[in-house]
Amino acid sequence: MSKWMQKLSENILDKFSMDFLRSQVLKNAYGNDDTVIAGLDPRILLAWYLFFAIVPWFADDIPFLLGCFLLVMVTTVLARVAGLVLFLFVLGIFTQTGYLLIFTLLFGGDASSVAPLLVLTLKVATVSLASVTVFSGLDPDRLSNGLMWYGCPERLSFSISYAYRMLPILMEEFQNVLLSYRLRGNPPAHDTAAGKIRYLVYQVRIIIQSFYPLMLNTAKRSRTTVEALELRGYRYAQSSRQVRRMKLASLKVTLNDLIFLTASILWTAVSILASGLI
Amino acid sequence: MSANQKQTAMQSQKLMIFVLSMSLYGLATLFTELIPKFQVGLVEFSVEYFLFIPLVLAMLFDPLSAALGAATGELVFSEIMLGQFGGLGELEKFLTVTIGVYLAGRMVRNPKNRALVGAAAFLGTAAQLFMGMVVDILKVQFAVEDFEAVAGLPESVFFTEGFAFLNDLLFSGILFCLLPTLYLVPRLYGKIEPLLGMRPRTAENSLGKISLKTIVVCLAFFACAAAAELLASSGMELIDWEASWAESGTAMAVGIAAAAILALAVLAVLKKRAASIDKAVERP
Repeated sequence: MSKWMQKLSENILDKFSMDFLRSQVLKNAYGNDDTVIAGLDPRILLAWYLFFAIVPWFADDIPFLLGCFLLVMVTTVLARVAGLVLFLFVLGIFTQTGYLLIFTLLFGGDASSVAPLLVLTLKVATVSLASVTVFSGLDPDRLSNGLMWYGCPERLSFSISYAYRMLPILMEEFQNVLLSYRLRGNPPAHDTAAGKIRYLVYQVRIIIQSFYPLMLNTAKRSRTTVEALELRGYRYAQSSRQVRRMKLASLKVTLNDLIFLTASILWTAVSILASGLI
Repeated sequence: MSANQKQTAMQSQKLMIFVLSMSLYGLATLFTELIPKFQVGLVEFSVEYFLFIPLVLAMLFDPLSAALGAATGELVFSEIMLGQFGGLGELEKFLTVTIGVYLAGRMVRNPKNRALVGAAAFLGTAAQLFMGMVVDILKVQFAVEDFEAVAGLPESVFFTEGFAFLNDLLFSGILFCLLPTLYLVPRLYGKIEPLLGMRPRTAENSLGKISLKTIVVCLAFFACAAAAELLASSGMELIDWEASWAESGTAMAVGIAAAAILALAVLAVLKKRAASIDKAVERP
């Protein structure tokens, strides 16, 4: 039993290494720009998201919510979202309301006690799946262009593009600094309970210490970035209407967008109908 | 540039601070989002607060840029990149983090003064957590009608929220905000500023004491944060409005469905045509 447990924990730890996290995040950001969802117009998708982020909170009948949930589930599958994100989604749902639902079912709750929990779970799930579809299904550049079209501050769309580009480098650098601290350090033995706590404290201390070189390096890097931006007239472009128009010229509503939109409307209407009939 | 000039960094330097704070805090929150929390009884141990990063930066550089950068970094890296964007509710966290970090940064006039740095780090974290607590309590108060009438409810809400506040403050506040800040600020002071082409902060060139105006502006933003959060979570109260709409909605839904089917058919035909035209163009 203990051997099995050890194997399991090793397996989980293997899965959750830094490289795994990095690859998952990268996959989420760049790995799916050839999907149906990624090809859609970001403005349409954002409007679509707004509907599915707000309306489920106000709706209350199960058939309608179930319809919405099925629709966003299909779009999430279409967007080919990375496994880790889906895992976090399931974990989030479970810790928020899902466990209550399962316990109620296990201990013989009847329909009247399950229904409100089901409604709440469906609401939370629909809203978060809609956001997963839009925010991880879309290419970062298209997403930031879409946000800009809706009048979000330029800073935000800049931050999104910058974050997606810089994250791999930052993660690698953080890992390198952390590894160099580990190489030079001498971790305390961690067989006993007290040792385990000391080991945890040691790890946390190393992580905090490694932010010292990381801060200095990132400071240098951000100066280079900003100077490069300045050379290209970034701050002028920020407020210029002409530049904005040029940037947004790539956005085009195509037939695919309209088909996606009408299919969603049709499905929603049908589920409203179903909830009216039942 | 005279030594007496106030530390109001130039525009491009503000952008540098913004980018620095955003990328570092964003990276840290990305990790904390991925690390599961564990709970022992009522006490929750979560490594939620890497707040020391923006705190340190706000004490060394322009506080407003550092604070805004940190809040944006959290929003972009851990919410939008992982697809966990919560809509309007995120505004509350954005504003409370900004206010907490900004106040802490403004408090420190001379980063060499260790006692002041420690106090500012602690108070900044406390301000952020306290605002979160107040919003949570308000949420329950607005959601439950006759809040006072339900026996024992006010007491239990105040108790659990207050306990969570104290727990976060003593656990995360001391371990993850106070100690790292005390460790990092003296080490980085005078070293990191030249990298951004700036003068280290001294008592003479700091922005000056926190004025009444600053506090009023902070309170106004906090009111915005609370309003946004309440709006985001008040969905349950509008069921009445929804119910009347659903009853008369059957006919409307049929209409919408019919229109959508028609539109889909037309679009499909159009698409087919477009594809055949494309082919025709390619052929010759």
